[in-house]
Amino acid sequence: MTYQLATILDDLTTLPQLPAWVTSGRVETPETVAFRSGAALTVLDQLVSDPRYGVPAKLLANRLALRAATATSKLEGRLAREADIRDAYHLTPPGEAWGPDGDLLAFWRAGVRLRVGRTGEIADFVGADVAGEVGVWLDAGQERARTHGPLAVCASVLRAVLDADDRAERTACLLSDVVLARALNWKQVLPVTAQRLTKAALRDLTAEGQGADLAVEGRILESFEESIRLARDLARCAAALRTVAPKLRSKGSAAAVDLFLTEDAVAPSSMLSPRIRGTSIPMTDRAARRFCDRLVELGVARELTGRPTFRLYGIAP
Amino acid sequence: MTAATRKRKPVDEGGTVFDRELDDLPQELRWREWMRRVEAVLFASATPVGRDDLARIVGQGASVEMLIDDIQAELIGRPYELAQVAGGWVFRTKTQFAEAIKAAAALGEQTLAFTEMEMGVLCAIAYHQPIDRAGLADIFGKEISRDLLARLRYKDLIASGPRSPRPGAPHTFVTTETFLATFDLQSLRDLPEPELGGESI
Repeated sequence: MTYQLATILDDLTTLPQLPAWVTSGRVETPETVAFRSGAALTVLDQLVSDPRYGVPAKLLANRLALRAATATSKLEGRLAREADIRDAYHLTPPGEAWGPDGDLLAFWRAGVRLRVGRTGEIADFVGADVAGEVGVWLDAGQERARTHGPLAVCASVLRAVLDADDRAERTACLLSDVVLARALNWKQVLPVTAQRLTKAALRDLTAEGQGADLAVEGRILESFEESIRLARDLARCAAALRTVAPKLRSKGSAAAVDLFLTEDAVAPSSMLSPRIRGTSIPMTDRAARRFCDRLVELGVARELTGRPTFRLYGIAP
Repeated sequence: MTAATRKRKPVDEGGTVFDRELDDLPQELRWREWMRRVEAVLFASATPVGRDDLARIVGQGASVEMLIDDIQAELIGRPYELAQVAGGWVFRTKTQFAEAIKAAAALGEQTLAFTEMEMGVLCAIAYHQPIDRAGLADIFGKEISRDLLARLRYKDLIASGPRSPRPGAPHTFVTTETFLATFDLQSLRDLPEPELGGESI
């Protein structure tokens, strides 16, 4: 089928949603976690894989990358806030150092661009220290995914990586995401593992503590639920933006709208002008600012920082 | 076949051929030659040399880590060692000989001598990066001179980071790889836990 059903987008209630029995109640036994994660992953998989639902895949991945960066910053003991990390990444002029916070977000943003099937590429990316073992971990993970299901694999990959290097939290989380993407046959890595993990949970996991696997799996399940919520929100926001897009008549507005549908934060002064990023369409500084203001006026974008200057915009309902 | 195409490439660029693979040597001699090459490169370099750079001087299939391990095994008992710092390897003398080296005092300008203030500012940047001059002034209670920051930057211990979202968009400062190497840290997580006094910060 090469055409798109026009009615689907009109009726946003058709977006798959998580049944209430998944979110209600607490995680108590491995069986309930496994069962609920199955339901959650089905919904997430539908949202991510089916283009008819209009979930902006790159935007979702970038937003999740920011969340993963915030979570891993906590795991690594730096405790940077989401806003700090976003600022560090977006306010660094080209060619200068991002600093630790910006580096972390850059790591995750590059992580979601990795091609899932390329073990060599992934090994190069995570660094020389563990590169030799990446293939082993990923293969073992895939094997285990067939027998134990994707959620159990996330926990076992986390443990394998952290056993080798207890400071490799970001690598552990990324590899767990890669294994998950392979198990579900996703084309793109979605960073969902890190989001809700805590230091204590990981410490228990490596110490083979009682019920540590279950605790970690429960947290990853929560993160699936959050990701579904996020995907649904973004689909709704994207639909709203697409509806008003024809009303925007400034030059290059189509390309600028596309940028808003891929980037979670857009800095008008550097990403829209002098050229819209990724294109050769020129936009003046002033036009860029007016464009963003117009989106806010129409209620499809939001200023993210609350600052009068150095503003960053992202789509909003 | 792939080896042949790879070898032809440098000729096209006009230089002499650098023989990475050493196909004409027997296995054992080849390995020794690679070890010597790695050792020579590290010896000649004052800064840490990364894995990629070392991989370029040895054969395609050779593991840099294993070569380094073999070199390290040979260096046992020597007053210097091959240390891994900041994503690369570097030769350095063992710390127990610091006194002897200082007594000889022929170090001249290659030492990274710090004044107390420089050290303080460097610590502040390390713990609070990215931080701009205004932020440093908040910590120290006085303006930090641009000269001091320029000196630290000249030693390549700090670099410009993201712009601070304040009027004038001042640069913030972040620490560099050289900083990690100088203080023998693998990452910023190796910084000692700051002891927070009652009213500090």
